[in-house]
Order: sequence, then structure tokens, then C-alpha cells
Amino acid sequence: MMRVLDFEIPDKLYYSKEHEWVRIEGKEAVVGITDYAQKQLHEIVYVELQKVGANIEQFQTMGTVESVKSVSDIFAPVSGRIIKVNDELAESPELLNQDPYGKGWLAGINLKDLSKDLEKLMTAQQYADFIKKMEE
Amino acid sequence: MSKSLKKTHLYEFHRQTGKMIEFAGFEMPIWYKGIIPEHMAVRNGVGLFDITHMGRTLTTGAKSEAFLNYVTTNDVAALTPLSAHYSNMCNEQGGIKDDFVLSRLEQEKFLIVYNATNRTKDYEWLVKNAQPFNVKVEDASDNIAMFAVQGPNAQATLQKIADLDLSKVERFKCGWTKLAGLEGFVSRTGYTGEDGFEVFVLDARLANPVNTVKVWKAILQAGEEFGIEPCGLGARDTLRLEAGMCLYGNDIDETTTSLEAGLGFVVKLKKDSFIGKEALTKQKAEGIKRKRVGLIMMEKGIPRPQHEVWKDGEKIGYVTSGTFSPLLEKGIAMAYISVQHATEGNKVAVKVREKLTEAQIVKFPFYDPTKYGYGRQK
Repeated sequence: MMRVLDFEIPDKLYYSKEHEWVRIEGKEAVVGITDYAQKQLHEIVYVELQKVGANIEQFQTMGTVESVKSVSDIFAPVSGRIIKVNDELAESPELLNQDPYGKGWLAGINLKDLSKDLEKLMTAQQYADFIKKMEE
Repeated sequence: MSKSLKKTHLYEFHRQTGKMIEFAGFEMPIWYKGIIPEHMAVRNGVGLFDITHMGRTLTTGAKSEAFLNYVTTNDVAALTPLSAHYSNMCNEQGGIKDDFVLSRLEQEKFLIVYNATNRTKDYEWLVKNAQPFNVKVEDASDNIAMFAVQGPNAQATLQKIADLDLSKVERFKCGWTKLAGLEGFVSRTGYTGEDGFEVFVLDARLANPVNTVKVWKAILQAGEEFGIEPCGLGARDTLRLEAGMCLYGNDIDETTTSLEAGLGFVVKLKKDSFIGKEALTKQKAEGIKRKRVGLIMMEKGIPRPQHEVWKDGEKIGYVTSGTFSPLLEKGIAMAYISVQHATEGNKVAVKVREKLTEAQIVKFPFYDPTKYGYGRQK
């Protein structure tokens, strides 16, 4: 686990510039939003995701997340088919704030072409540098 | 953040403890702890807001009352010294130039407190229209600091640092008082729906923020036993929305009239000539075509400004303010809709990101006024 400024960045995940994370589990991936994203949004009160079975393309919208003040799109960090979504978020959207890399996971995705997706994702170290540069 | 943004006396406090944003040319806190806990502190206890960014203009002179009666819609003659009212300034078409609170300090001296967004526009409008009346119009915005102490424990909090007996200051009344030993002025007003005070620190030059910071910290300390929270612009917005109060630029502007906005109670058409009177008189006689209403979501989804409002396959209006209500834990909105559909209890749909989401028209405020707000049963 890395810590950059006030933000946690777990080592073994991949990251997008839109602040989503990807955990690879064989041919599947679990995705979510990063600690940086949840801290920027603050007080998340509503999450809406595409349904199980939906096909998503990397960097296309796969849902929205709302704080009291604002609405943000969630961009799919990988391409594939949604095989599970975190139903708990409907009742407890605050899980995204409390545990963005754990209980606040968003969806499970059956990967289409991981190697192609990875070309456009960052490692933890790269994401840490990205955050540092952005916050300068 | 850009260096050209204006700052209030509390800038260092805000920067160290809050999340800063740009608002109306000022660098201001949107929240400290978070919108929800700050909002709930005001509904259940007490909260403190820095509202120094708002505009403050003083008018002085024998014809102050006549001038203000001409430039504003409410009845200024009805204001006795040390009382205040909510009012509008309109253009000739009845469109709202701004909404504000007017306080009568003395028989011939008034204080107008208006939106930060309109600081320059309002001052120039007042100066321009004051000429025939020979009154002095003075922008005091940069010399007076201003806070709002809001919530059911506002009086108990503020009393600890004020020498004036605040229990004698009724709603929409004002008084001169020492605040933590410094010269001050308070009015029992606010924009949260709750009981509370707006507090003016009079010797408050920006270059020397010591006095202002002293009063701010004294209020925070006095409110500690009631769980006081410093509150940012985020909670200020959700609180006024729950109370059904307009935000200038969202819910009212120069293209909406006071009557359409449901602010007819501050338009006194029986007064002598005032700016906008003819247009408003005509509109009242003909009837308004659209009206501001409250919407509460019946399904999950948060309405946001510009979302369309639909009924039976027809677009009937649009949302001007919308948020998640921290108190009701539901989406709530203000919308302008065709008057024939604007009936309390009527079911409509808000198009939340392409999805028609059921909502119901409700009266303001959104909360139960016997349980929350200044009229709550103690």
C-alpha cells in the first residue's frame, strides 16, 4: 500500500486517469473508484450502475456517482461484460467513502481483452506520480 | 486557486479547516467536516456560517424610505427602526434584479444585505436610482464582517457573548450589542429555515481581521456544548433548499418575476410607484403562466438544475435547484412548471439523465414545520 499526500494507493491494482481501479482475478476483474476519487466527491449519496449482462467498453460510461452537490460519471476502466454489481451500494452508498478498495467495490467484469486494456492503465507507482503531478 | 479571488477575514480559518471553492469571485469553504453533518448541526443544534462575501449597502437621508419604496417591492413604511424584512428589487418588466433583507437601523438609515453574486450590479442600481432622492448610498461590504448563527440553539449560543437580551429580539427584529466585547449588530434573520441570527462585526477592516476572528472563535466556543459546527456554502445551499428559499441565479433572475417565483408576499402593489409595479400589476391581473413549486422524489434519483419536468408525455417545466436532502434522505427540487399542473399533491416526472423519475409536488418547506424550522413546537 502506497500513500501519496492524503491518498491510499494499493500496490497490486491498475488505475485509470479517471480515478477508477481494477483488480485482476484471472479472466475477471473487479472495479471501483479510488481513494482520491472518493475524497474529491466526498459524501457519496447515490450510485447508479449498468446492470449485470451489460457489455461495456473501456472508458465508456458504466454508471454515475452522486455526492450531495455533484454528479460524476463512472468510466469503465476495462472492456467486457458486467457479471456482478455491488447491490449493497443502493442502500449504503457511503461504503464508497468508507472503504473504496473493499466494501465499496462497484462491479465484476468478464474481461474481453485485458492486454489491450492494460496499455491504457497505470500501475500503482504510475498512478501515484499522476496524483502528485495533478496536486502540485 | 487563482490569486485574484477575494477573501474574507476568516480566510486563514477556512483554508486550514475547510475545502475551498470559488464562489461569486470569492474563495470560500464549501464544507469543513461535510455538508451532511453541518446541515444536521443546524437542524438539530447550531451552525455558524461566514457570510461576509455578501453585499452590504447603507442608505442614509431624509428620503431613504421614499427611495427604498421606489426601488424595492416590499412596504418600507411598515418597517419600524430595528426591524427587517425580506424583499425584491425588480426591473421594469418585473424581473427580479435581486432578493435581499432590508433592515431599518434608524428612521433615516437602512442596511441592505444582498447576494454576493450581485454585489456590483446591486450597488450600481441603487446609486443610479438614488439620484432624484438625494440620499447617501454607501457600499459597506468591505468594512463590516457578517456571520449567520442558525439553529434551535442559536440564541443560547450567541447570548453567551452578547450583552443584549436576545430573548427580547423577535424574528425579523434587530439590535445593537457588544459581541465578545466588540461593537456589533444582530438581526433575528437567516436563510436556513431555522431560528437564528445574522451577526455583524462593525469594526472589521479586511486588513486587520483580528476582531472578526475573535468573534468567530467566541461563537464557536460558546456553541461547543450544543455541538456547533462551522458550516460552508454546501450546507447553506441544502438548508435553504429544504426551507423552500430561492437561490439567485438558479431559482430567480431577471427573467423570472416575483409572482412566478411565489414571492408575491413581498410585492405590495398598493404602494405608490415602484420599479416593476406596472408589469407586476398586469401580470397579477392576467395570471401567471408558470410557477415555482417544490418537488420531492418518489423514486431513487437526485434532481439537478435543468432537468426537465414531464406530465402525461408533455414537457411542463424544468428544475432550477435540486439536491439530496440530508434531512429527508431523498432527492428534492425547485422547479418552474406550467401553472395548470402546479397543484400540491400532483404527480409529475423529472427526467434524471434520460430516465423519467416519479416526483410529487409539495408545499414549502420540505420538512415538517412542526418538527423543524423556526416555527417548530418546542
